[in-house]
Amino acid sequence: MVVVKVIDVQHVCKHYGAVGAVKDLSFGVAGASCFGLLGPNGAGKTTMMKMIYAKALRDAAPASVLTVFGYDPGEDALAIKSLAAVVPQENNLDEELNVEQNLQVYARFYGLGTRAARRRIGELLEFVELNDRPTLAIRELSGGMKRRLIIARALLNRPSLLILDEPTTGLDPQVRHLIWDKLRQLKREGITILLTTHYMEEAYQICERVLIMHQGRKIMEGTPAGLLAQHIEKYVLELLSSEAWGRLPDPLPAGVRQEGTAERVLLYTDDLALLRSLAEQGSREYYLRQTNLEDLFMKATGRGLNE
Amino acid sequence: MNSGVAQTGMGFCGRILAVWNRHMRVYGRNLVSNGLPPFLEPLIFLGGIGLGFRGYVGMIEGMPYLRFLGTGLLVTTAMFTAAYECTYVTFIRLEFEKVYDGMLAAPLTVRDLFLGEILWAGSKGLFFSFAVLLVLSLCGIVSFWAALAAPLIGFVTAVMFGAVGLLVTSFVKTINHFSFFFTGLMSPMFFFCGVVFSIAKLPGWIRPVVELLPLTHPVRLMRAIVQGQYGVILLWDGVYIVLLTLLAGTWAIRRLRRRLIT
Repeated sequence: MVVVKVIDVQHVCKHYGAVGAVKDLSFGVAGASCFGLLGPNGAGKTTMMKMIYAKALRDAAPASVLTVFGYDPGEDALAIKSLAAVVPQENNLDEELNVEQNLQVYARFYGLGTRAARRRIGELLEFVELNDRPTLAIRELSGGMKRRLIIARALLNRPSLLILDEPTTGLDPQVRHLIWDKLRQLKREGITILLTTHYMEEAYQICERVLIMHQGRKIMEGTPAGLLAQHIEKYVLELLSSEAWGRLPDPLPAGVRQEGTAERVLLYTDDLALLRSLAEQGSREYYLRQTNLEDLFMKATGRGLNE
Repeated sequence: MNSGVAQTGMGFCGRILAVWNRHMRVYGRNLVSNGLPPFLEPLIFLGGIGLGFRGYVGMIEGMPYLRFLGTGLLVTTAMFTAAYECTYVTFIRLEFEKVYDGMLAAPLTVRDLFLGEILWAGSKGLFFSFAVLLVLSLCGIVSFWAALAAPLIGFVTAVMFGAVGLLVTSFVKTINHFSFFFTGLMSPMFFFCGVVFSIAKLPGWIRPVVELLPLTHPVRLMRAIVQGQYGVILLWDGVYIVLLTLLAGTWAIRRLRRRLIT
């Protein structure tokens, strides 16, 4: 089977003045899959997204390639925008219009006729579970409802590519799980999804491939499970009190990697039995578990703040 | 599901009309509060200035004073609505509401956005001029049928000031800066461009300056249409309006593109 690349990014850089936001980034997104860009705030995720949907222009360089469905956003922005839809990080609903009117106005932007628009809007309000309140004003919507409405707006034109910039930031768990379910459903229908997030669980739940960025650069890329197997120990012991930490052997047994802050010590190793014995020497306040993407993310991007 | 081949989508005109449609929908939501002032404002002006001055001022440029002032108001109403629309309102959409960020994710270009905006400003000018025309003809100040083309000049005026307003907006960083434009340019134009008194009464050295101000030209065109008296100088007015509109519009769109596409 030929894997068709929907997005092709090669050696893309972006500077704002002297500040480099994206540095020599390359990746590809296969059709009908979900690709996640992960990274701390300021890693360059949003900038990369904006270059893909022609809201920002990449630095001109002969080696740099950026195509979406084969179109270059710098030249064929309209072609890309008629195939791709965007759910931006900031809510940008039209506050001067109500729920239904927001969708009607956008249906016109996509050239939908009145009747087709009415049918599509009905379907979509049902899809995002807002069908019982089409005439609410935007300011009366909760954060979760606004997000869902923006997703409905993005789906008006039946896009082949859906770009979501931190789709569930600031939402409660119910809405987050609802949105994940919707995204899985869309992926099954053949839509390609590109999303940024800093919720590692989100990436694990819905992305086939993830790319971890830090300070504008790619740090690693692969499937979530593959990255875990390749880059981090299997198990971690979390010790939540400093006395527990004092009772551990010094030096630590070979093969145990230590990380953490004054409040919380993390011990990583592939040897589950070893961690269990360490845990029992320590205290009852411990948490022994498999490592996850968040551990990997912290290992890759460091524990310091990035702002 | 489409398969990754871009649809032709809408043409240029369809896209601009879709933007116009957005503004119309927003305006239409508050039809009473938005639609009444254009009828009330000329009444206030005609009453406040016209009735008071009428006794002191005889004929100006061959017209009774109320008619002179009224024909000027046909233009200024279009000017103010367009200038306001393309400065404060545009700025709020640009910086606070992020409306354009959303619209640009749809298949629209920056040029579509702002041409739609200018067209919308023009349409408001047409409507506002028409409202003043109704008031003037109901008060017996001008003949409705003779001045039927007046709203078209209102449209042209509003398109020009819409383009100028966008250009000003493209330079403005905080919303307070618009006061410079309104106090520094709009208010003086209202008084010195032949709306409330004839520019023939101005000192000779000021007159060339007045010829360079945008409002002078649609005012002269409007008077010519209402009076049915045409002269060669109207060609200069027409050329001025076309050139300023193209220049300001092109420059504004270029600057706003750099602001929106980073």
